[in-house]
Amino acid sequence: MRVVSSLLFLLILLFASCDKKTKPKAPIDYKGFTYTPAGELSPKKSGTGRKGDNYVYAPNIRFPIESGNAYINSQVYGVGGYLGERGSLCDKRNYAYPWHDNYCEKRGWSMPLCSGGKGHQGVDIRTATCEKKRYYAVAVEDGIITYIGQYTIKLRGLSGRTYRYLHLDSHSIQVQRGQKIKRGTRIGLVSNNMGKTATSIHLHFDMKQTIKVGNRSKSVFVPPYTSLVEAYKRLLRGEP
Amino acid sequence: MRLFSLILFTLLSLNAGGILPIDWSKVNSTQQQKASIPYPKKLIEGIKDVRLPVYLSSSYVYDKSIMIVADKGFYSISFVLNGATLLFEGDRTYQEAVSPKNPEFQKIVQKRRAVEISQSEGIMMAEFNRHGANYAISVECEKPKTDKRCTDEEFIRTLYAKLTMVGGRP
Repeated sequence: MRVVSSLLFLLILLFASCDKKTKPKAPIDYKGFTYTPAGELSPKKSGTGRKGDNYVYAPNIRFPIESGNAYINSQVYGVGGYLGERGSLCDKRNYAYPWHDNYCEKRGWSMPLCSGGKGHQGVDIRTATCEKKRYYAVAVEDGIITYIGQYTIKLRGLSGRTYRYLHLDSHSIQVQRGQKIKRGTRIGLVSNNMGKTATSIHLHFDMKQTIKVGNRSKSVFVPPYTSLVEAYKRLLRGEP
Repeated sequence: MRLFSLILFTLLSLNAGGILPIDWSKVNSTQQQKASIPYPKKLIEGIKDVRLPVYLSSSYVYDKSIMIVADKGFYSISFVLNGATLLFEGDRTYQEAVSPKNPEFQKIVQKRRAVEISQSEGIMMAEFNRHGANYAISVECEKPKTDKRCTDEEFIRTLYAKLTMVGGRP
């Protein structure tokens, strides 16, 4: 009897583990804000994410959008994206939870932390509504503005990490090169600026830091998703 | 499963950051070149506190559009070109230390080439490591899809080839 029950228990365990592998995980719910785990890209054809890396590389940063809901999902493979389902970029499905990580999404760019060594360097964030020049991108930590380019702004945080904000409206920039700014300072309005080539309305946000291995080192774009999930939860709690 | 184990190992071996050592004996013997014309005051002033070798492409050392943001551990020097922005960066800080036994990161640093050229978000970038510090040159174009400075490697490779040490001290 004991042997039979043990066997039964093992079978249940086996079944449960198989079930876990085949069934997609339900998004995690935090007071109505839902998100899929880090590294789970959507749709599946958009590439292989860095699954299992739940390390918060930038703990306690502020969420980079000042206010309103925000949606992390693919610009390229989302509705209206150039490899996505046909439709409007303003389709309501693009402006809805759950969040989907898009770090390491398929790109031809060198990215040592992505499987295959290539992928998206950061994440794309949509603002609450499909309107350009309405929502401010803000500093995620105290730091200094080191660069303002055609459509890129770099903030070097006190942590030494460098954050890139792309596609802000260039006429709305509130900061200057060399300016020391505080966490939450307005940087510029989220838009579709990519020089004279327009892109979709979103903020591309990434984080670069140097990692030392023995007596060697390398600067790499690290996964921002988990840090942003934590930051967004704080924003929702009213503790940005 | 293999990727998961690698990531798990990585996470367990991450540590806080610090300053990377610079081998100044090699820097002084091989890199520093005396300028035939004194460097512009703005450049000298801007990098006076920097504690790592400062590299600029020789074609831009005397460019009047120079903008400098620097501190002891890093510098960011940019120039406004016609229809593009050029950026030279150097950094001797690190934010995480990983155990040398970590297979993922060990592979990443071992595979590191003398210079790595990549193009992303319309920005052409060259990254390299010298004397222990990390450097990058990037070009961002107003027309990223058609401007050859941002679509072909030639321009950035020339900038890299013409790098000259213009300052920095132990």
